[in-house]
Amino acid sequence: MQPAPDSALVDRMRTGDEAALSTLYDHYSAMLFGMLMRILRDQQAAEEVLQDLFLQLWRNAAQFDSARGSLPAWLMVIGRNRAISRLRGRRDREVLEEEEGDYANTFVSGQNIEDESVRAELARNISAALGQLPVEQRQAVELAYFEGMTQSEIASQTGIPLGTVKTRVRTAMQSLRQILG
Amino acid sequence: MTGPHANPEDLDLYALGALDGEDKQTLEAHLRACPYCQQQLAAARQRTALMGLAAPPAVPRPEVKAALMDKVRTEKRAGTGSRAAQTALSKIRKKRWGLRFSLGFGLATAVLAFATYELAKQDLDRGKQLQQLQAQLSQDAAALQAMAQITGAPDSTQITLLQQPNGPPGQAHVLYNARMGLGVYSGQIAPAPSGKSYQLWLVPASGAPVDAGVVGANQQNGAVVVRLAPGLAPKAFAVTLEPLGGRPQPTGPMVLVGAVG
Repeated sequence: MQPAPDSALVDRMRTGDEAALSTLYDHYSAMLFGMLMRILRDQQAAEEVLQDLFLQLWRNAAQFDSARGSLPAWLMVIGRNRAISRLRGRRDREVLEEEEGDYANTFVSGQNIEDESVRAELARNISAALGQLPVEQRQAVELAYFEGMTQSEIASQTGIPLGTVKTRVRTAMQSLRQILG
Repeated sequence: MTGPHANPEDLDLYALGALDGEDKQTLEAHLRACPYCQQQLAAARQRTALMGLAAPPAVPRPEVKAALMDKVRTEKRAGTGSRAAQTALSKIRKKRWGLRFSLGFGLATAVLAFATYELAKQDLDRGKQLQQLQAQLSQDAAALQAMAQITGAPDSTQITLLQQPNGPPGQAHVLYNARMGLGVYSGQIAPAPSGKSYQLWLVPASGAPVDAGVVGANQQNGAVVVRLAPGLAPKAFAVTLEPLGGRPQPTGPMVLVGAVG
């Protein structure tokens, strides 16, 4: 039997169907928890962010238009922002995340990552792409993604000139964009 | 910037959170006026977020899901029990907004609050005025956006949360619209003890308190947007002291309390 698409599960959540939330949690919690653990490196903190994330999904199901956006990508955008906010003790990302959610919810993703096999292949491609980047580029882009650092902060932390950091991050993102579509 | 639109690289860097300084300010100014680039940014955000797939999946403990589902069931019960109170609330709440609601946005907030007051007093076109203000105020965009939504609605209310006997010194304000399920919290409390968090609760007319999120001790300079299930009418708001990260239901002492109406 084909699994229910996210759009159907979101519709069911709007009617108060807890089982739909349970199913979505089963689909995406491992993907999200892996990312949260990588960012936070703290099991309890990652668990709390994960729980809050799905609670937000439940509360805001009526506002999510599945036809216009990818639910797992939206979850990753919000989840990453929450984790980095927590990691760095900043509230700016949390405050902005609703806006980001709106933006994310206006785009039809080119990657159907609802499908677990597609997601797994994409994960392999991303890991491979990161692995192929020169070490300094990979380090710069990982500091930005997983530590939430700006280019200036990366320069300050690593002692590398800001201009060099900018070049490295831009070059790395150009390479990744080709893979991420 | 190239031509009329932003560089894709800049959008990627902005989505990544890596852009800063003048580059960021220039891009944000452009984004505010360019729906096309907003859409491109949405694409960049999703694309960038997928980089998280590079982290190996990890299965959370079963207790996490169990706690989540408990919380959801509690909210459902609280939502059902509060409909009558919500109806009553909407009849009695016709407050106008003044300058006394003090969010910690410094000058930006003062401008918005003043304008809101003027809107109420002069009965001007609120939506248009607030839209103009939003364009001017780039900082704390989401909080301001939420505040604009709330202050523009006649059925919103302001609650002042006061210090409790023997509790730490502090005061906070919640601006809340039950119909939208949208609010803004700001305030200041003495720093929480180590290993503890302050947590905000919506106390409905009946049923269990509803988690409105963990709040910092000092939210004077950065208000928190509160999003709850629409239609959930508050009898009061309260802040309790909880174990770090908060709990699904209050377990600690009430630090601040403010009744509605």
